[in-house]
Amino acid sequence: MKTIPIVSGAKPDTGHIEEYSANFVQFLLRAEAECGVLAEYNLAGQETILLSGVEAQEFFFRGSDENLSRAAAYQAMVPVFGPGVIFDAPPDKMKSQLKIQVDALRYQNMKNYAPVIAQEVEDWIADWGDEGELDFMDEFLELTIHTATHCLLGKDFRDKMTAEFKTLYRDLEAGLQAIAFVDPYMQQPIFDRRDRARERLEEIITAMIDERRNSDIEYNDALATFMTGTYADGSCLTSTEVTGLVIATIFAGHHTSSGTSTWMLTELARHPKETSAIVEELNAIYQKDETLSHNALREMPKMESFLNEVLRVHPPLVVLMRRVINDIEFDGHAIPAGKTVAISIFGSHRNPEYFPNPEIFDPSRTEPETMFAYIPFGGGRHKCGGNAFALLQQKAIFSALLRRYSFEIVDQSNSYVDDLSGMVLRPKSPCRLRYKRRVS
Amino acid sequence: MKIRVDLDLCQGHSVCIDEAPEVFSVEDQLDDYPKVKVLNFQPSAELQNQVRLAARYCPNKVITLIEDNE
Repeated sequence: MKTIPIVSGAKPDTGHIEEYSANFVQFLLRAEAECGVLAEYNLAGQETILLSGVEAQEFFFRGSDENLSRAAAYQAMVPVFGPGVIFDAPPDKMKSQLKIQVDALRYQNMKNYAPVIAQEVEDWIADWGDEGELDFMDEFLELTIHTATHCLLGKDFRDKMTAEFKTLYRDLEAGLQAIAFVDPYMQQPIFDRRDRARERLEEIITAMIDERRNSDIEYNDALATFMTGTYADGSCLTSTEVTGLVIATIFAGHHTSSGTSTWMLTELARHPKETSAIVEELNAIYQKDETLSHNALREMPKMESFLNEVLRVHPPLVVLMRRVINDIEFDGHAIPAGKTVAISIFGSHRNPEYFPNPEIFDPSRTEPETMFAYIPFGGGRHKCGGNAFALLQQKAIFSALLRRYSFEIVDQSNSYVDDLSGMVLRPKSPCRLRYKRRVS
Repeated sequence: MKIRVDLDLCQGHSVCIDEAPEVFSVEDQLDDYPKVKVLNFQPSAELQNQVRLAARYCPNKVITLIEDNE
């Protein structure tokens, strides 16, 4: 068996955690550059092996649940989602919960979401006037919590949503940092705030579930799907489990989508020529389909290539992990049980073999043949179940936005950079852009 | 035209049954995502365009088509 090279710079007790916490994106790029396909590092005791390159990534995605556990690797999510939910549930219950979650995002439900998102955008820009300047990171955080709650929890919830709900969500999300993957229960102010936010969210959402249980109104949204979903033995989810699924579903789509929207708008502002072509494409579609149906949204080649390139250069999730449960072997290297294996989406998207001149933003790239090089939503059987919703949402937002306004960057172009303080990449706030009403 | 599906990738998003209900169905599984079931692996010429749309819009790229001239 070949030995797996260890990334330089480990400290005696804590390994690489300090460097990893400060800038995990750069750390992972360095690990691959230094060690190649397999690179071992140590996060305060958790020995982790980064698998790089398409073959190793395919091996990661095709690994069986028995050998590679997501639940064990993502225990940092347990205090966020709550007890008994997803990564804290027994394997068969976890599978049922994930199935119920994706049920809510089925195509037949998705068709109802496009007009809801378009309406949210209309409401958002209603008081913009002819021109102005905004911090769009902030704006998109707000817009995507509106769209997510409106689509998933229904209009009644969205209408009653308060500023408190948004603050709670921010506290919950702020608790997800590299250190949470070492020990999500250590004494830390960010974890205290996370736990208080989770508790209060449970109160709010449970009240809503109770209200619905005592009402005769028939609902047709994600919450209804969660409340009527059943386990294999026919039993329903408990209120805590329904709450957990609600939190998990919004959580999965909030920071990721708002970060993507903000990068999308920033790159559009940086690339006026490509933006004009997208606006032309939109105008042609709107001429045929004034209400912008779900069908119209699914075929927008120029918008889609631009969005794909945004997700390549700025993938919201940088790293995916699995805990090794049974000893495995890759390319003559033994990987023993107890270690963690990881892949870097960020690194994969900069693999020059598949993306020549990877640092250049180029929407005219063609997607590689292999499914394991371009992986903004992961891959294999655990690919993000919200991928279709996420893409639909971006297209709906920018279809409504770009036809009405044009955008310019305000600060130096190279000052728009990733915020590395959380585990989900997004532009550093403030992300200031100037908007101007289009004259038709 | 021949149809192949990679069930490992299927999460039951159900785009295919909207596009080509004569060719695809999606069936519930015990403790797993619902999975696509191909009802007709060699669809007639009239159905082939719908099948192409199903493959194209499948969010997880579960469906692969082998056209007759390939």
